[in-house]
Amino acid sequence: MLILLVLPALVMFAVSFSHHRKAKFLLPISSVAILLPIVKLFWLPKPYAIWGNYLVADRLDTYVLLISSLVGIGVTLALLTLDKHVKVSPKAYRRFYRFFAIFWVGLIISILANHMGIYWIGLELATLSTVYMIKTNHTPAAHKEAWNYMIVGAIAISLVLFGIILMYASAKPILGEEAMRFDLLLSHAKEIPSPFLFEMGFAIATVGMFVKMGFFPMNLWLANIERASFYPVAALFSGILESAVIIGFFRFSKIAEQINYAHLYGFVFVYTLLTIFIVAFLIFRAKDFMRLFSLSGVEHMALIALFWVSGGTFAALLHFGAHAFLKPALFLSTGVLESRGKYRIAGALRGYKGKKGELFWVLVSLFLLAIISLPPSPMFFSELYGFAAMVEMAKQSDHMLAMIAAILFLLVLLSVIFYRFVTLYQSMKYEGKEEEKRVYGSELAALVLFALCLLVLLLPSSFAYLRSIV
Amino acid sequence: MGVDFFIGLFLATLIVALFTSRLYRLIFWYSMNSLVLGILALMIGKALDDKAMLVTGIATLVIKAVGIPYMLKHFSEKFHFVRQIQPQISAHYAIILIPAILVFTFYLSEPITHMIEGNANYIAISISSLFLSLLLMMEHRHVAPKIIGFLSMENALFLLGITATGGMPMLVELGIFFDLLMAIVVMNLLFHKEEVSS
Amino acid sequence: MIAYLVTITILLLIAPILLFFIKVLKMRMLYKKPVSLLQGYRNVAKLMQKETLISEEASGMTRVAPFLVLSPLLVTLFFLPPVVQGAFYVSFVDAFTITGLIALSTFFLMLLGLDSASAFGGMGSSREAFISALVEPAMILTVFSVSMMAGDLGVGQAGVNLASHFPKAHMASFLFAAISFFILLIAENGRIPVDNPETHLELTMVHEAMVLDITGVYLAIIETAASVKFVIFASLFASLFLPFGMQYAPPVAFVLFLVKLFMIAAAVALIEVNTAKLRLFKVPNLLGIAIVFAFLSLITFYVLGA
Repeated sequence: MLILLVLPALVMFAVSFSHHRKAKFLLPISSVAILLPIVKLFWLPKPYAIWGNYLVADRLDTYVLLISSLVGIGVTLALLTLDKHVKVSPKAYRRFYRFFAIFWVGLIISILANHMGIYWIGLELATLSTVYMIKTNHTPAAHKEAWNYMIVGAIAISLVLFGIILMYASAKPILGEEAMRFDLLLSHAKEIPSPFLFEMGFAIATVGMFVKMGFFPMNLWLANIERASFYPVAALFSGILESAVIIGFFRFSKIAEQINYAHLYGFVFVYTLLTIFIVAFLIFRAKDFMRLFSLSGVEHMALIALFWVSGGTFAALLHFGAHAFLKPALFLSTGVLESRGKYRIAGALRGYKGKKGELFWVLVSLFLLAIISLPPSPMFFSELYGFAAMVEMAKQSDHMLAMIAAILFLLVLLSVIFYRFVTLYQSMKYEGKEEEKRVYGSELAALVLFALCLLVLLLPSSFAYLRSIV
Repeated sequence: MGVDFFIGLFLATLIVALFTSRLYRLIFWYSMNSLVLGILALMIGKALDDKAMLVTGIATLVIKAVGIPYMLKHFSEKFHFVRQIQPQISAHYAIILIPAILVFTFYLSEPITHMIEGNANYIAISISSLFLSLLLMMEHRHVAPKIIGFLSMENALFLLGITATGGMPMLVELGIFFDLLMAIVVMNLLFHKEEVSS
Repeated sequence: MIAYLVTITILLLIAPILLFFIKVLKMRMLYKKPVSLLQGYRNVAKLMQKETLISEEASGMTRVAPFLVLSPLLVTLFFLPPVVQGAFYVSFVDAFTITGLIALSTFFLMLLGLDSASAFGGMGSSREAFISALVEPAMILTVFSVSMMAGDLGVGQAGVNLASHFPKAHMASFLFAAISFFILLIAENGRIPVDNPETHLELTMVHEAMVLDITGVYLAIIETAASVKFVIFASLFASLFLPFGMQYAPPVAFVLFLVKLFMIAAAVALIEVNTAKLRLFKVPNLLGIAIVFAFLSLITFYVLGA
C-alpha cells in the first residue's frame, strides 16, 4: 500500500532525470494513479496500519490525503505549461520536478503519520524541498526570499520539534517510548502526570505551526515568498503544505482539548482573531494577485483553526476542503492572469478568445466569488456551520456576549475582505484594456478538475462523510 | 560530575561563538560544541545503558563535529563567503543581553524542572542554548552565521531530547540527521548563483 | 605571623623578576638575545638617580599620585590568601575590597595621565577607563563565584578552604571562573592582546600612554606598582584556581607557590607571543566573554549546583 502511494512521486523523480522534451506529459497520467490506493483506503476498515504504528490511516488522514492528492494532480497538469508563461531554464525545470517529487513523499509521510516524530520528519522534508522550488525563479528577489524562507521555516520547524520533545517528555512516564503516538496520547490524555508541561509543549509547537502558515507576526513573510516564486509553488504551498501543517494542528489540539480546553481555546482564539484582523487590512491594500491570494489563504487557515477548536470540526473540514481546491485553482490561474504584467488587475478577466478562453474566465470568476463565501460555494456553508459551532460552545460557558461581539467583529473583517474582492472582480471584468491572453489546455484541465471536486464536495453524501470523521 | 562539566562546556562554546567576528572561528566553535554534545551523549548513554543514544552520540561526533564543519568550510571557499562577520549587536549590548537571556530562560524553565524525571537543570541549559542560538541567528547579517545558528539550534534540541526524555526513539533521531543532511544539500543548491537563462 | 611577613617581603622582592621573566621568555621564543633577569632592579636604581622633571601644566596631583598608585597595591598584598599552612592571613576581606583597592590604584593612575595635559595622557586615561569599566564587574563576579564555591566570602579564607576541599562537584563553574579570571589577569595588567607593554606607539598603548610624561622617582614608583599588580593577580590566580600543595612543609609549599607564579607568567608569555594585539574596539568582545563567563559561573553554581 505504501509503495502504491509513493509510486507517482517516484515516477516523477525518475522522469525528471530524462532530457526528453515530451517526457513530462507522462506525469499527469502517473499522478492520477495515486487515486487508486486512496479510494481503496476509503473502503478499508479504519484505522488501517500502513506501516506498523508509524503510518496509520484513519478517517481524517484519508480525507486530507485525498484532497492533497487531487491538488497534486492538478498542479502536475498545470506544470506542463510552466515554461510558456514564465522564463525557466530546462535544467531548473527538471530540478523543480525532482523537488516536487521529494515534497510529495514528505507530504504523504506527514499526513499519514501516527507518530509525532515521523510527522515532524515528513514536515521538514516537505519544507526543505520547497526551498529550492522558490529559487527556480532566477531573480534576486527570489534568491533573497528563498533564504528568508529557509531561515524562518527552519526556526518554525525547530519550534515544532521543541514542542514535540516537551510533549513527549510529559507523556513518557505513563507511556514509555510509545508516547510519540497520536492515538495513544489521545486515549491517555487525562492521565498525563504533568499537564502544564504538555500545554507548554503544545503552545510552542502551535506557535511554530502558525508561523509556518503565515499567521501573526509573519503574515507578510509568506506573501513575499509566494510573490517571489512561480505560481505553481504558491499553489503547492496553499494547497498541500498547509494541509500537512493543519493536520498536525488538528491532532495536537484534539489532545490538548482533553487536557485543558479553556487554555487551548483562549490561546487559539486570541491568536487567530489577531491574525484575521491584521490580514484583513493587508488584503485591502494588496495590489497584485499573488499577495492577495496568499493573504486570503492565511485568513482562511485562521478561520479553519478557529472553527476546529470551537468544536465545529465538520465546518473546519469542509472549509479546509473547499479552500484546498479553490486557492490552488486561483494561484494556477494567475499564471494566465498575470501574463500581461504583474500589477494589471484591471481587465484581467477580459480578452479571452475561443471556447477555452470563455471557459477559463467563467471558471475563474466563479472561483473568485466562491472564495469570499458567496452561496452556493462550500465556504458559505462552512462559515455558517462554523459560527453556529462557536455560538454553541459559548452557550456552555459564561461568555456568550463576548462571543457574539467576537463574531460580529469577525464578520466586519470578513466584509472588508468581501468588499475588496468584489471591487477587484469588477475591475477585472469591466475595466481596463482588452489584452489578448492565451490559455492552454492543461491548465484548463486542472481548473476543471478543481471545479468538479468542489461540486462533489457540495453533495449531501460528502457532508455526511465529513460529519462522521471526528 | 562529568556530565555537569561537559554541559557547562557546551554552553561555554556557544557563548564564545556569540562574540566572535570571524567565520572560520565560528565554524570551529560550532564543531567544538558538537564534539562536547557527542561526548555528552556517549556519557549519558553509557549511564543509562541505552544503545540508541550511543549510536546517535557517535553519529553526532562524526557528522556534526567533523562532517558539517568541513562541508561548511568547503562551501565558503567555493562560493566566496564573506568571512568578516561583525555582529549587529555590539559587544556592549551583548554583555547585558546574554546574561539577561540566561536568567530569563532559567526562570522560564523553573516550572518545567519540577515535572521532569532526571536532572532538571540540564533542561534549563538546553532551553537557554536554544534561545542563545536564536540570538546567534539574529545578530548577524550574512547567511553563513545564520546557518550555523540553525545548526546550533538543532544541537540544543538534541541536548533537550537527551536530558529531558532520555533519548528520543531511534527512528526519530535518524530522521533528524537525514533531514539535516538534506538541508545541507539544499543549501549547496541555494548558494549557486546561476545566470538567468531562457 | 613570620611566614606571613616573609611571604609579603619575598613577593615584593620578586615582583620585578616576574615581569622580566615574561620578557626574557618572549625574547627567547623570538630568538633574540635575552636581557638579564635582574634588569628590573637595575631600571629602578637608574630611575632613582635621574632627575625628576614635572611638566609645566601639571598640578600638585602629579607629585602625589604615584604614591597613591602604589599604596593600595601594597595594602592588597597584605590581604592575599596564605601560601603555607599555619600562616596568618586576613580572612574577612572579600571581592569588593580587593577590586576596590585595585580600582583605586587605577583611578589615581588615570588622574596622573590626565594631569600632564598632553594628548597622549588623556588618550591613555580614556582607554584605561574603557577597559576598567569592563574589567571590574567581571572581577567582582568571578571572585564572588569562587568564594561561594569555597564556602566563605573572605578571599583569604576561601583560599584556605579551596586548598583542603577542591570543588569537584562544581567543576563547570570553577572552569568558567578560571577562564574569566585569566582573561582579566591579561586585561588588568596591560598584556597583549589588550595592551602592548613594550611599545610607545600611539595606536597601541594604554598603560604606557598614561605614564609618558613621568620621570625619575615617580616613574620608578609606577613601574614597581605595575609589577606588584601582576604579582597580586598571579598569586590570586595561583591560590584560588591552582589550590594544591599547601599541605607540604613550609619551604616546599613556598617553593611550589613560586613555581606556580612562574608558570602563570610563562603562560602569559606564551599567549603574548602567539596572539596579535586586539583593536581597541574589539577589546569589549574579549572582556564581554570574561563578563559573561563570570556571570555564567555564578549562575551555574546557583541554579544548577554544578
